[in-house]
Amino acid sequence: MSRNRTEWQDRWVRRWAKRSISARLLLAVLLMVGLALPIAGTLLAHHYRASATQAFDERLAATLNVIIAGVTYDRLEQQLLHDRALGDPRFENVYSGWYWQITDGEENTLASRSLWDQRLPVIENDSLSARSIPGPRGQSLRVVERDVYLAPLEAPLHISVAARDDALARDIREFQRLLWGGLVGLGVLLLGVLALQVRWGLAPLRRMHANLQEVEQGRAEQLDTRLPDELATLAASMNAVLARDQRLIERGRHAAGNLAHALKTPLSVMRLQLRQLPEANRASWEVELARVDSAVRHHLARASAAGEGVRFAPIDLHATLAPLLNGLARLAQRRGIELRQTWAGDVKVHMDGQDIQELVGNLMDNALRWAHSDVQLQVASDGQQLSLTISDDGPGMTDAECQQAVQRGKRLDEQRSGSGLGLAIVTDLVALYSGHMRLGRASTGGLKVVVELPVVARNRRA
Amino acid sequence: MKCLLVEDDQALARELSQALREGDWLVEHAATGQDADFLVRTEAYDTLILDIGLPDGDGTRWLSAWREGGIDLPVLILTARERWADKAAGFTAGADDYVTKPFEPAEVLFRLRALVRRSHGHAHPVLKVGELSLDTHTQHVTLAGRPVGLTAQETRLLGYLMHAAPRVVSRTELSEHVYDRDHEPDSNVIDVQVSRLRRKLGSWRIATQRGQGYRLLAEEPATE
Repeated sequence: MSRNRTEWQDRWVRRWAKRSISARLLLAVLLMVGLALPIAGTLLAHHYRASATQAFDERLAATLNVIIAGVTYDRLEQQLLHDRALGDPRFENVYSGWYWQITDGEENTLASRSLWDQRLPVIENDSLSARSIPGPRGQSLRVVERDVYLAPLEAPLHISVAARDDALARDIREFQRLLWGGLVGLGVLLLGVLALQVRWGLAPLRRMHANLQEVEQGRAEQLDTRLPDELATLAASMNAVLARDQRLIERGRHAAGNLAHALKTPLSVMRLQLRQLPEANRASWEVELARVDSAVRHHLARASAAGEGVRFAPIDLHATLAPLLNGLARLAQRRGIELRQTWAGDVKVHMDGQDIQELVGNLMDNALRWAHSDVQLQVASDGQQLSLTISDDGPGMTDAECQQAVQRGKRLDEQRSGSGLGLAIVTDLVALYSGHMRLGRASTGGLKVVVELPVVARNRRA
Repeated sequence: MKCLLVEDDQALARELSQALREGDWLVEHAATGQDADFLVRTEAYDTLILDIGLPDGDGTRWLSAWREGGIDLPVLILTARERWADKAAGFTAGADDYVTKPFEPAEVLFRLRALVRRSHGHAHPVLKVGELSLDTHTQHVTLAGRPVGLTAQETRLLGYLMHAAPRVVSRTELSEHVYDRDHEPDSNVIDVQVSRLRRKLGSWRIATQRGQGYRLLAEEPATE
């Protein structure tokens, strides 16, 4: 039972934690508008009704006192007299709604002219009391009455003053109309203020979100910290995390480079020393050394590749590859190979500069190793996919070899070192950027490698 | 053929020199950029092997300086770096080819021979002068399809003449490129070896240009 409850609570807490801030603020204001305002309204209306009624009753009670003061008993005539004119015409006009009545409960009864032949109902009551009663012609009356002893009469006189309470009721209705109107207005105002609060109060948060997206897409390096205090510290912390991230990548690359440098020379020495080993041992040592070498290269290349996960600022592909391609063109020239490039316009890509240089460098190097006289690089973009086609006029590869090369980066020719591993590094990089690589036969007879990467930056002018 | 190896790692320099000598190269070694700088400016080499990581400055910086100084001998760079940006910087500085450490000795020899051949304007690995041919990879010499038995020194001498053909090669040039600096021969030794080659190949093939040097001929000149 209790376990069920905690599960339910957990679920509730989790669901609540996910509510947006706008929803939280809306809920708070709805509570205010839906509960607090009606309660306040009801209390106010009640209090106003009570005090208005009391004021009305007090006016009647004052009139009652005046009437009591004017009552005398004529001993000779043995009848009640009322000698004081009230000076209020409303007590003279018939059924005006204002009445008074003095009665001893038997034959002696005095009443205002306005009451004509009607009489007010009487209840015995020592002290002053007020109540509502139906009056003549369906009028609703408020009556204030009390019993008074007047010597020499033994029985008490019931003295009542009544007045139509329509005015009071109208008064209260008018007040309630104003009150509820005001409260509805207030509710609408509160909702309006909430909308403003959400728009204006949460604007820095939205700005920060947009800013963060820019950082993600590489259009900004850091978050803008010109924000309200509460968010400025948050933005500063996020900047610190971003900077640390960048430092870690740099350090990883640096460490990878240093390690490569430290390992390569001893490996070279060992390989050179293999010549002095007996033939039988040499082959197995060669294999082992090649394994060490390829493991080192593979993992260092992976460690230093930036790859996906971070969005990179768009870089100009041509400018990034130019130094590399210039160098390769020189190499090609020395090897007597014609290097042709076809560029379909300027392409900007979301990639790390080193990554794309590695990718193209390894593929071009491979092509230059095998080509007889011709290597082609084609760069094209369809607005989303970057497509690199590199073909040579070398011996090419069979379908089975293509498959093998892509899958395992296997070195296909031990005489020309590095080609297999180059392809393996390319395969890794292509995978990091969620791209595709296809190997096939070029029209010039050699190997054709097609790499497609979804990294083309959207042209902002378009 | 003579090669200058610029490498600061003693073990690698020793092993690589050894491997190159086995491949019939004359090798001189410099451990620093400073030493190398002195040697390339004063000695004649057919090719240079340059390690990019040197104790006194980046190899590419030395290379740029040499290229600016008009030294155009073919350069093969040794790089431990995997980064293409670094390799490209090497090419831009004026390297002609590269091998990545750890390399196989065969690959270095292959690249070196190709560099020397191209620097003399030959694209094909088998050099031919008339009926005489030299496979630069195997160092086999054939005359009209039949193998010719030559000593290592004779092969080096003929190889240099074949690379240079049909240019005239002076005795000084020959002694610089074909003999070790420490054992530079007097011109008499060269004359003796040339006459041995003449005996094995036919005397008309190596012509003496008086006052200039030797030249390989493709065809027997008509006797006057």
